[in-house]
Amino acid sequence: MAPGESQDIEVVTTAIHAQPDNKTRRYDRQLRLWAATGQHALETSRILVLSSSATSTSIMKNLVLPGIGHFTLLDPTITTARDAGNNFFLAGPDSIGKHRAQEAVPLLGELNDGVEGTADVRSVHDVLESDPAYFKSFSLVISHNLDSPTVEKLSRLLWTDPLSPPLIVVRSAGFLADFYIQFHEHDIIESHTETAPSLRIDKPFPSLLGHALSLELANMDITDHGHIPYVVILVRVLEDWKRSHNGLPPQNYAEKQAFKAALRDLKRKPDEENFDEAEAQAYRAWTTTGVPSDVAQLFTLPAASGNSTPNSTFHTLLHALQKFTELDDPPHVLPLSSTLPDMKADTSSYVHLQTLYKTRADEERAIFFDLLDKNADIDEGVVETFVKNAHAIRVLRGRRWGEFDADKEAIASAVVGYPRESASHFALSALSNLTSGSTAPPTADALLAEVQRIVGPGIELPEKELTDAIGELARAPTSDLPNVAAFLGGLVAQEAIKIITKQYVPINGYCVVDLVDTWTGVVGTPA
Amino acid sequence: MATAEVLTNGNSTLCDWHDRYYHVDQILDRPGPRTDPSFMAGDGVKEFLRNQCKILVIGAGGLGCEILANLALSGFKDIHVIDMDTIDISNLNRQFLFRPKDVGQPKAIVAAEYIMKRVPGVKVSPYYGKIQDKDDAYYMQFNLVICGLDSVEARRWINATLVNLVDPENPESLKPLIDGGTEGFKGQARVILPTVSSCYECSLDMLNKPTAFPICTIANTPRLPEHCIEWASVLEWPRVQGDKKMDTDDPEHINWLYTVASARAKEFKIEGVTWSLTQGVVKNIIPAIASTNAIIAASCCNEAFKIATSSAAYLNNYFMLIGTDGVYSYTFEHEKRDDCPVCGGESLDISVPRTWTVERLIEMLVEKQDIQIKKPSLSTASSQIYFQAPPQLEEATRPNLEKQVFDLVPDGGEITVTASTLPFSLFLRITYS
Ligand SMILES: [Zn+2]
Repeated sequence: MAPGESQDIEVVTTAIHAQPDNKTRRYDRQLRLWAATGQHALETSRILVLSSSATSTSIMKNLVLPGIGHFTLLDPTITTARDAGNNFFLAGPDSIGKHRAQEAVPLLGELNDGVEGTADVRSVHDVLESDPAYFKSFSLVISHNLDSPTVEKLSRLLWTDPLSPPLIVVRSAGFLADFYIQFHEHDIIESHTETAPSLRIDKPFPSLLGHALSLELANMDITDHGHIPYVVILVRVLEDWKRSHNGLPPQNYAEKQAFKAALRDLKRKPDEENFDEAEAQAYRAWTTTGVPSDVAQLFTLPAASGNSTPNSTFHTLLHALQKFTELDDPPHVLPLSSTLPDMKADTSSYVHLQTLYKTRADEERAIFFDLLDKNADIDEGVVETFVKNAHAIRVLRGRRWGEFDADKEAIASAVVGYPRESASHFALSALSNLTSGSTAPPTADALLAEVQRIVGPGIELPEKELTDAIGELARAPTSDLPNVAAFLGGLVAQEAIKIITKQYVPINGYCVVDLVDTWTGVVGTPA
Repeated sequence: MATAEVLTNGNSTLCDWHDRYYHVDQILDRPGPRTDPSFMAGDGVKEFLRNQCKILVIGAGGLGCEILANLALSGFKDIHVIDMDTIDISNLNRQFLFRPKDVGQPKAIVAAEYIMKRVPGVKVSPYYGKIQDKDDAYYMQFNLVICGLDSVEARRWINATLVNLVDPENPESLKPLIDGGTEGFKGQARVILPTVSSCYECSLDMLNKPTAFPICTIANTPRLPEHCIEWASVLEWPRVQGDKKMDTDDPEHINWLYTVASARAKEFKIEGVTWSLTQGVVKNIIPAIASTNAIIAASCCNEAFKIATSSAAYLNNYFMLIGTDGVYSYTFEHEKRDDCPVCGGESLDISVPRTWTVERLIEMLVEKQDIQIKKPSLSTASSQIYFQAPPQLEEATRPNLEKQVFDLVPDGGEITVTASTLPFSLFLRITYS
């Protein structure tokens, strides 16, 4: 046995002992989604929840389980018989008469001993008055059924300073609910979208082109011929085509058909599946690789409101990306991705092609690195992730909570485009405006009048949708239904995870939920 | 095995306290604008929900834990739960009724005990075993069935069982089936009224096709780490380990596969074989998180509550949610298939070339996405074509595999297909092209 081989076996046997530890095993099913980076972001997050209602504890349950770092329930409420009946994170009748937050924290905490939980029995109004900086010590603030004036005050406080945490405002009654995420800007590197990066078949890098041109297609061993990866076939045939067509790829339908025929003509046996694949993927030969428009428009984004931005790393990377796309070589493209899809090929030709892509991707990442602002100290792993996902980066710009309700133009267009979502949203706004502690719940007529006051004269809300929404709210104005709480608990937790991990894409607008007809929708997305 | 008696915690009505159902009663005391006029608001509906309605939950895992808690808080008091699994450490990131000390215990029993401890007056009767252990009489006792399973086979079984249970003379025999499923940030919930609306079998073609790697790729031209792992589990395990059964829950077995796959990957210069990927491929692990399970379970329970109380219209009949890019959902009516082998009543038309052998036909049936059958046995009304078991019958019918279908079944003739994984027979009408 050669020395190298015995060493290989040693490496392999050492790897055996790298069996996952208990924590990795516990989180296995979620690590397959957001990986160690997402998990780390969760574990260092601090979440503040205003209230410990059934909906609030449902949201928290779905954040404690995946392992956030810390949560605080800020709630002065004393548990009532009503709370004991609909909240799974209270000890039934035993909790009645005790502080709701203090009763809920241990029952949430027992879901995961890696999470720290605190009950704070001060009222949010008092804290807003006495200690506004308190809110900024968290990474995310979530409220449920907080009265409109307080939400207004809190949202303004957090909006004034762009370094403040995002705020999720959740409102529900009976079968209806909506929620909104207030953030200035949310940048996503790992968006997990399904769009694949370009393979640059139309703009092959030198080593790929050289490899494709070096193949002796006609004299090749017949087995090898049936195993040339389609990428190589396309690069080669396109190059040959361009030589006889003034350097241009196929321009019109007839030429595209002729190109496909040229691919078929190269087949030496009818069952060469790699050539079938090349034909199916032929569109790549005439699809110009450039900077995707979604990415290009990020280069011209106006500066975010406020002077400082919490996402300076992202913007430094984005700036370097823009400079990269301005280069002539690589030719006005995004950095090459090293991920190659699977394709018909034998092992050696596939691995060879993979190596070509990987080597070139490394070279382009080095070019990108040189373009980075040298003063910005950015972790190499972050740069690598950014470059790998450059084709799918996203930037969301948000609005302050409540601005939509005061924007007549936006309302007018929402009412037409999203009638049922608008109706439910404004009905919930009306309920929230008319609900304050001790007064009796508003009637349907009062809700209707308040909706009309919010949207203002001249805007017609759809009658049936509005009657349906108002009728449901008047039926159950103070009801936090267990199933609706659980539904919102899941939905809001999903969004919180996206905000914290900066992976996947959160909503931008009001997410409206109707569990009579079982639908969700989004309205009020900033233009 | 624990019985319902052992776990019952007293008379249910004794545990109710004033205002216990304050939130739910706002819905039950008056109709909403979209509520059907047949809704009888008030005491009658509460009495039915809390003292008469009997509901079955299938699965006490990711969805099941959530479903049990939601039902208990909604006012269902006679809940039964079936699950054949025990608790694994990887369940703890979402199955919130379980703690580290419960690892190894039966899910159904631990879940039932926890719910009864937290929600007084609710009776949860667990059964630690398979749904197939129970007969028609057992399923007949329930008003509703909610299914939170990750197994296609078990869902097909309960779906077919509930369809077969329907007796047009007896309205009580129609048991609404509410089914939920999740994968990562995505999920779906649906309401099936057996024989009336589209059933689980009607929509089999909506399932994602499982990734299958051709054997020749695995054996000769591996390119991906997955190819090396499949080589270790499909080809090397039986070759080296002989008749020893692979247990994908045994870490020693995963270790062995990982070692063998790593060595092969090294030989072929393929990168990316890891312990976690090995486990993921051989166990076909689907990512699962608490939040998505919460959404889908809540949706299932909300439909159960609406059906049990008529307080609002129930879902007609499919709700699909995708949370990866914003919150996108789609609510639609999935159409019943006339040629559904379970609820359609019509046989499935299959056109095959005259030259096809029985073996080729079987191959086609196995590949067909809307049938999904593993080892089909074939017969006509008058003769046996091919039987997978018992061995004597398999041997006796094996020569037919090479015969042309045309020689055994006339044009327009019917073939009955059965399989051990299918709780029903499939009828094919064969025509020749
Ligand atoms: Zn069907």
